[in-house]
Amino acid sequence: MPVDTEKEISKMHKTLHSTQNEIGKTYYRWRQVAIEFAGEDTKPLDVALRAAEVFGKDIGKSLLPRMNWLKGEEGFLMILARSLAGLWNTEGGMAIVEKGENPGEIFIKCTRDPWPTWAKEYGAPMEEVALCRERMYQAILEDVGFFMNVPLKIELQKAISRGEGETVMKLYKTE
Amino acid sequence: MAKTLFEWDYSDYPGAKTYPHLFKPIQIGNLMVPNRIKYAATEDNLNGHDGFVTDAGVEYMRQRAIGVVGGLCFMQGVYMDEKRQGQGYVGQAAAWDDKFIPGLKRIAEAIHEQKAVAGFQLMDCGRVGAVEVDYCHGPSAVPQRLRIFKPVEEMTNADVKTVVQQHIDAAKRGIEAGFDIMEISGIVGYLISNFISSYTNRRTDEYGGDIRGRMQAVVEIIQGVKEACGPDIPVGIRLCSEELLDDVRGNTPEESMETYKIAEEAGADYISCTLGWQESIYPVISRDIPMGNWIHLAKRAKAHVNIPIQMAYRLFKPGLPNEKIGAGELDIWEICRSMIADPHMPKKVAEGREEEIRHCVACNLCLARLFRDAPMTCYINPVCAHEWQEEFANPKPAEEEKEVMIVGAGPAGLECAYTAARRGHEVHVYDKRDVIGGTLNEAKNAPYGDDELWTCVEYQQAMCKQAGVNFHLGTEVTDDLIEEEMPDAVVLATGPVYSKIEAPGGDGDKIVNLLDVMNGKVEVGETVVMYGNRKPGIGGALHLAKQGKKVTIVGKEKSAGFDVNPSFKWRYMIYMRQNGITVYNDCDIEEVTDEGVIVRSYDGVRWPVKCDTVVISDRGPNESLKKTVQSEGIELFVIGDALIPRNLSSAVHDGYRIGIRL
Repeated sequence: MPVDTEKEISKMHKTLHSTQNEIGKTYYRWRQVAIEFAGEDTKPLDVALRAAEVFGKDIGKSLLPRMNWLKGEEGFLMILARSLAGLWNTEGGMAIVEKGENPGEIFIKCTRDPWPTWAKEYGAPMEEVALCRERMYQAILEDVGFFMNVPLKIELQKAISRGEGETVMKLYKTE
Repeated sequence: MAKTLFEWDYSDYPGAKTYPHLFKPIQIGNLMVPNRIKYAATEDNLNGHDGFVTDAGVEYMRQRAIGVVGGLCFMQGVYMDEKRQGQGYVGQAAAWDDKFIPGLKRIAEAIHEQKAVAGFQLMDCGRVGAVEVDYCHGPSAVPQRLRIFKPVEEMTNADVKTVVQQHIDAAKRGIEAGFDIMEISGIVGYLISNFISSYTNRRTDEYGGDIRGRMQAVVEIIQGVKEACGPDIPVGIRLCSEELLDDVRGNTPEESMETYKIAEEAGADYISCTLGWQESIYPVISRDIPMGNWIHLAKRAKAHVNIPIQMAYRLFKPGLPNEKIGAGELDIWEICRSMIADPHMPKKVAEGREEEIRHCVACNLCLARLFRDAPMTCYINPVCAHEWQEEFANPKPAEEEKEVMIVGAGPAGLECAYTAARRGHEVHVYDKRDVIGGTLNEAKNAPYGDDELWTCVEYQQAMCKQAGVNFHLGTEVTDDLIEEEMPDAVVLATGPVYSKIEAPGGDGDKIVNLLDVMNGKVEVGETVVMYGNRKPGIGGALHLAKQGKKVTIVGKEKSAGFDVNPSFKWRYMIYMRQNGITVYNDCDIEEVTDEGVIVRSYDGVRWPVKCDTVVISDRGPNESLKKTVQSEGIELFVIGDALIPRNLSSAVHDGYRIGIRL
């Protein structure tokens, strides 16, 4: 039977989007469980930030085999930034990497992010989405920075979930 | 005057004339070693999980001691801390308490019984340790690059001093056990190398900083161990001449050479020149690295120090080390894997029996096993780690001499043939080809060092000749021939049958099998689909890609090369990428069309792949002749790929196991 390319691609596309959607929703279902177990004395934001930290730590470990200093500091930062942007894209976002004006400064810009939509669906605050992204990336950088012996920082400058149209994060080397 | 432990005279050894430099004495510290051969300390996971030496470990070492013909024979490195943070292998021997001395003594005695020099190695595995506990230790808590290793705890200043003392105490136990020479292991990511490397040592106390600071712990260990050993027991150290960690900001080669000088200043009596870490992204010892690739590093090391330099690393044959020793570029030939494959290898060199050497094929299965907490085994040597099992290592002559017909002169059949013939059977090997070697004749044509696999057949051929095996090449075994000969036993080692593509168009003209491709019997188009993602498919795909073909692998296994051991598989993954080979795993061919094939993934997604030729590399068991043998009531064995298509190792191991059972 000949292959109907359009049908095959659209089938895969739908599967990809369903998978991304299901992963996002699964996160919020687990978030609900974690908040219930944490009890009333624990702030939901603290639970979410702790989860972001755990995710970041683990993702950081998985990035280590790919870290490479052979292309120098700038090359290393670029590979790292692309990995962080790639992570967002895998989740269903649209993120790109741009060099900053100063050396050792890179911006990760996300213009489409599914996380606020999921958060809204499950009643999670928008600010939590922004802070969790920042915390997760900080946790990633902790291990990566120490591993490569480069002090790294990442800061959230704008966030879609704050109604600022895009999410912008600045990755840079500290002195 | 240097002390000589055992007198050796090599004047009657033919190999000593061919390789005169290998059989010259050398002074190390105050010890005179009769030759330039060393079995380098190699982990084998054969000891108890509590660190006690076992019978298996002792017999393993005894065979290697026979092999070095009076040279240096080092037991595996021992861990030295009760907390077991320094333990890198589940079956690693321990020396953190006097209670281990009796076991260690057994090994020293086994080596001495063979008039060889017994070497003791101190090995704290550092960031690749803690195999039985939750945290390993290191100079700094640099995260692990590879998840298989445990998180690192940063050592306090007091911890460092404790580790120095542990080395000294363990050395004393080694001396008490009767060892003659001491070695400190500072390689591949073990603790000493962690201190030395800028990648893993970020300390700001006296054990960190510049290269002298990073060597401080090593200096204290060398000096402490030297003092414990006294003037008669030399102390050496294994050090990286190149870490191959430039991608993670490791030491420069200049810094590494500086460590050699500092070790010499601290009193080391020799240096074993090594390279690479387990975390390095560069291959060092796999088959794709040419023999002798690293020998220049020994020469460079010798230019920096005045103490003897020893080296292994892809020096599998005696010619090159003999030449380099003669040229003053190396002092001692270290051997690891070659003596796992053939424990008596250097002895055979000395005795002029080189054709009887079972050569290592640099597959690294031995390493892969160690990292997975399994006892040592060898791809090519079925007896490895079974030396202590007399009935397995030295099978008795057969109680009843049989006429054995072996169908197939591939590695399985040959291994079985000489093993059975040695036990007194009359063995006849048949093959429809005119040559021995079976499908290895084709497999050896794959790139990246697969020609080395052929050494297995060369060895088996020599053994068959010695054992008086009868060959009937160019003779296809038929039902009639079996009925005519009526042997007492038949061993079917016929090799596999190539699979068919069970899909529309699966019997078309563009479909060929891998054997015909590898031996050049068929023409292959410019674009090729290789059906099958196991080792033969990968080897075949690389062979074709090297000819400039555009190759796509389509295979049912979830990951390509799942049958290749992980210590080698990563090399194939890189080579496939470098050669532009596209791989579709977990897929099957749904249809063969005029333009190519339609691939279908496990979840039903389909896509076309253009190709001129489809090469089948997947194989199945060979059932032919089985019924005839069974119906005649003849004892029957099926081995190698005829039983289940696997790899060279399985063929050799099957052959040996049936050879000792017949």
